Parts: sequence; structure tokens; C-alpha cells
Amino acid sequence: MLNDLQLNNILEDFDIAYWKINLLTKEISWSDHFEALVGTPPTEESLFEHFMTNVLHKDYRYDYRVAFENLTLGSENLNQEIRLKLKNDKFRWFECRNLKRKDSNNIETAVLLFVNIHQSKRDQYTIEENFFYYRETAEMTTTGGWYIDITTKSIYWDDVTKKILDCPKDFNPDYDKRLQFYASEHQEQANSIFEKCEKYGIPFKTELKMVTLYGREFWVQATGKPVYNEEQQIIGIRGVLQNIDENKSNELNLQNSLDIIAAQNSRLFNFAHVVSHNLRSHSSNLSLVVQLLNEAKNSQDKIDLIENVEDISVNLDAAISRLNDMVSHQTLLKKERTLVSFKQSLDIVISSASSLINRESAKIIAEFKALKEISYIPEYLESILLNLITNAIRYKQPGRVPVIFIQTYSVNDQNFMEISDNGIGIDLDQYGDKMFGMYKTFHSNPDAKGIGLFITKNQVETMGGSISVTSTVNIGTTFKIKF
Amino acid sequence: MGQKMELACIIDDDKIYVNLVRKIIEIKKLSENLLIFKNGLEALDYFKIILTNMTEEKLPDIIFLDLNMPVMDGWEFLGEFIKIKNQFDKKITLYVVSSSIDPRDLERAKSFNLVTDYLIKPIELKKFEKIFDRVANVA
Repeated sequence: MLNDLQLNNILEDFDIAYWKINLLTKEISWSDHFEALVGTPPTEESLFEHFMTNVLHKDYRYDYRVAFENLTLGSENLNQEIRLKLKNDKFRWFECRNLKRKDSNNIETAVLLFVNIHQSKRDQYTIEENFFYYRETAEMTTTGGWYIDITTKSIYWDDVTKKILDCPKDFNPDYDKRLQFYASEHQEQANSIFEKCEKYGIPFKTELKMVTLYGREFWVQATGKPVYNEEQQIIGIRGVLQNIDENKSNELNLQNSLDIIAAQNSRLFNFAHVVSHNLRSHSSNLSLVVQLLNEAKNSQDKIDLIENVEDISVNLDAAISRLNDMVSHQTLLKKERTLVSFKQSLDIVISSASSLINRESAKIIAEFKALKEISYIPEYLESILLNLITNAIRYKQPGRVPVIFIQTYSVNDQNFMEISDNGIGIDLDQYGDKMFGMYKTFHSNPDAKGIGLFITKNQVETMGGSISVTSTVNIGTTFKIKF
Repeated sequence: MGQKMELACIIDDDKIYVNLVRKIIEIKKLSENLLIFKNGLEALDYFKIILTNMTEEKLPDIIFLDLNMPVMDGWEFLGEFIKIKNQFDKKITLYVVSSSIDPRDLERAKSFNLVTDYLIKPIELKKFEKIFDRVANVA
């Protein structure tokens, strides 16, 4: 049996202090170690009240007083985590509990133990804090953790991973069906990076398209590293996956905007070039006339030259009005899309081009059953139809009645319009890439201004579509617009 | 002033410009004759016919080639002309004449060996005279 002194020593070694409480007199005595921890109490005050006001942290005073009274009444055990102010004025965590009485007869004395738990309490806080940060970061960045146990062929997902993949919290991923969570076009890639990590321990960091439980596709950034056992064998793969769908789609949108801006920029450049070129050609003619006027020897020569000035003036005027046309086409951009009926647009175009159509007795056949209307800027659709129809008539095969066949349809939610004619056609090997350029004319046709197709392409592209052409010389041409 | 040139050639679709140059040539008596084509293809056809007839009488001493033309533009003409040029014994001087001040056009024109120079419209009368004078006396 240990005597009190030996017991004291052991308790002190474990940093455990105690109180002895006489349950009959309610008298308390502190162990030496307790006194060493919190300092010597003043003699004039009761030990308990001194403890309550000067040693115990105020947050625990109420609960502690209740528990202490219950203990001294012999009714309940005391077990609390409290903070005590030590001699050096610092608070430390202690676990305070009474020594259980094995002998129920001996109820004169109670012993309250004070065990220093400060270090473990601090560790616990640190862990909780780290866990909090980890959770918040994971939630905020929608980053989920996962682990693949290679030895048991099983998969573990944390809550965020399950949330990212639209899975309920009690969902258990099936190892054999793990690839179902990757987009079909990325399954092979996913399989290969996991295999490389499993076999050769190659870590990975890659962007993949995944599929949620409900089939929604989205982009993730996936990282994974091998996990080794003590024999340095790979036993698992551990990693995180982050939902980057928003970033990815922003990136794609940005790329898209960049493409549009680049296209617009190149059109603008082309436009500036054409403007400069066209105005310059007239001004240079004018300058030549002036030079000749200065050289002219008689009045008849001068009169002849003045005629040229008239011609230049007419041409310059025409050039400027064409440029105005182009600019006004560009400003239509600000208009909004509405649901436009192909039939109505075509009727408008046919009536405005009726003189040309009637003169050439052109036949226009329209087939809008498969796709009757489209969300578009009405003025654009009319302009596109007008340009392509008048082009088809202008470049008709001599002696052949021009026939224009217009058809709309949709394939996989993608809308199309085709406009075919039986005209003279065009050698696309020779002119294909220039077809839609500005001021490109390919036939010695005096009507040709070389601007219609440029504007048409511009309008189609502004609305996010594309236009392509197929043609056979002497047979006809087909323009296909993808809306 | 030295010799007068035999035959000059203009390939240009701008009627007014062609008319004015014709007047300059007449007034300044720069060339005996003048060939005019309104696009590259018409000019190319002409040169091809000369080749098949094996005669070089009607080859011009100088060509003024415009760039922007319908049907076959100046670039396309250069690309075709370069293939047949060596079959002519006669030296033909070629000037590109355009109102384009785009440096890329200038660069591209100078990359052709057969292009003597790139002239920006309008060309001054004195410059015309100089060019004709030089070509006529070398030839």
C-alpha cells in the first residue's frame, strides 16, 4: 500500500493536483502540488471562495459551483473541464473529477483530482481549427478528396466529392463502375492516368470532363498521388478533384470572345484598307486630270478633260454611298433578335427585288416546312436572302431561266438554310478563298460591286453562324448557312 | 529624250485611269502603241496566243499592272505570267501600279523578281516620262 507521501510524489510526477474535502465540515484542503500551481492562498478567506474568484476562469464559475455542491451533498460525481489561473497569471486547461468511492460507507472525505490537460486540449483545438480551414477551403473551392484502395479494390469519397458528383452522402462508389463518372471522350484518358499512377507511381494533375450521377457534364481539375506501404509498394492512390467548370467555361467564353474580336479586327482592317484604296483611286485620277489640264495646249483638250472630272465625281459618289451602306449594315448590330418567319422575310425580299425577278422571269421555290422560323435579326435575314437571290439571278446561265431553290432544316438542334441556283457557277479551286472578300468580283459583269457576299458573310458571322459554298461551273451554286 | 518606245501595255479595270494614261502617252509621245486589258485574264490570254504563234512582234516593252481587278487580279496574273515569261526572248519591264498604300502589298510586289518597282497612284507626269525614257533607251 502506498502511503500519502508516495502517492503525492506519483501524482506530482503526472502533474496531477488534488483537493481533500471533508464532507461533514465542508472543509477543503489543497495538495502541495495544487498550491504550487496556483499559488499560496490568503489565510483570511475561505479556500473555496478564493478559488472561485481568483483561480477559476469566470466562464466556469456557475457550473462549477453547482457541480461542487452536488458533489458535497454526495449525490453526484463531478467531472468538468475547466480553466485555472496559475501563479504566472496564465490560464491552463484542467480536467477536474472526483475520485470514485469504492467503499460507500466511507463518505467522510471526497477527493477532487485536477489533471493538467492543457497540451491535449490545445492539440485538439489545433486539429479542430485545421479541420475547419480544410472544410471551408474545400467547400469554397469545391474541392473533394478521394482515395482508391488498390489492395481491396474500393473507393472512398469525402462529402465534397459526393456533392460535386451529385451523389447522396450515403453513396458508395463502385470500383468496377468508376469510369462511368468520366465523360465518354475522357474515359480512356482517365483510365490511363490512374493506371500509370497505380503501376509506376506517376502522380498526375490534369483537367478532365466528368459526369455526375445524373449525367451532367462538367470540368474538374484532378490531382492524384500514389500511396506506399512500408515495403514501398503502391497500395492506393490519393488525390483531390476540383470543380473548375465555371473557370473552364469562362475560359472557353473568353477564347470565343477573342476569336470574335480577332475576326472583327481583321474585318475592320480590311474595311480601312478598302476605304483607303477606293477613295485613293478616285483622288489619284483627279490628280492625273489636274496634271493633264496644266499640260493641255488648247481649250478643246481642256473640255475633254473636264468630262473625266464628271466621271470621277460620279464614281466617288458611288464609292462613298457603298461605304455608307456597309456602315449602316454594321450598326444594325445593336438590334435585338426576334422570332422571324422565313416565309415572311422571303415575301418582303421578293417584293423589293420584284423588278429584277420579273425581268429575268426567275423562279423562286421555297421549302420552309422543316424549319419555319428562327430567332434572328429580321433585317439581317432579309439582307442575306436579298443578296443571295439577286446574286443568283445576276449570275444566271445565259439563255437559262434562273431557278432558285431555298430550303431550311435543322439537324441535331442546329438550324440550316440552303440557297441553290442553276446559274453559271464559279470555279472554287481558283476563287474559293476569295469568294467572301470585299470588292472581289469574278465575272466581267458590270453590275458586280464585289460587296454583297462580304456583307452576307459578315451578317451571318455576327449572328454566330457560318456560311459555306459549293459550286460547279455551268451547273450552279449552293450557299449553305449554319445559323 | 532618247528613243520612243514601241509598245506599252496597261492592265487595269479603271476606265478613267486608263483613259488619262492614254492621253499622257499621246501628249508626251511616250510610246508608238498602247495595249489595254481590263483584267489579268485578258492580258494572260493575249500573251499565251503570242506564245503559240511563235511571234514576238507584239510583245510590249513595258507593262503597268494594277492589283485590284475583277476576274483575275494583279497577283494572280503575276503568278501565271512568271511561268511563261522565260519563253519570251524580249525583255519586258513590269511595274505594279496601285492605289493601295498597304505596306504588305508593297512587300509582296517586291518579292517578285520580275517586278521592277511598285508605283503608287497617282503617278506624276514627270515620273511617267522618266520611266518610259529609261526603258526605251535600255531596250
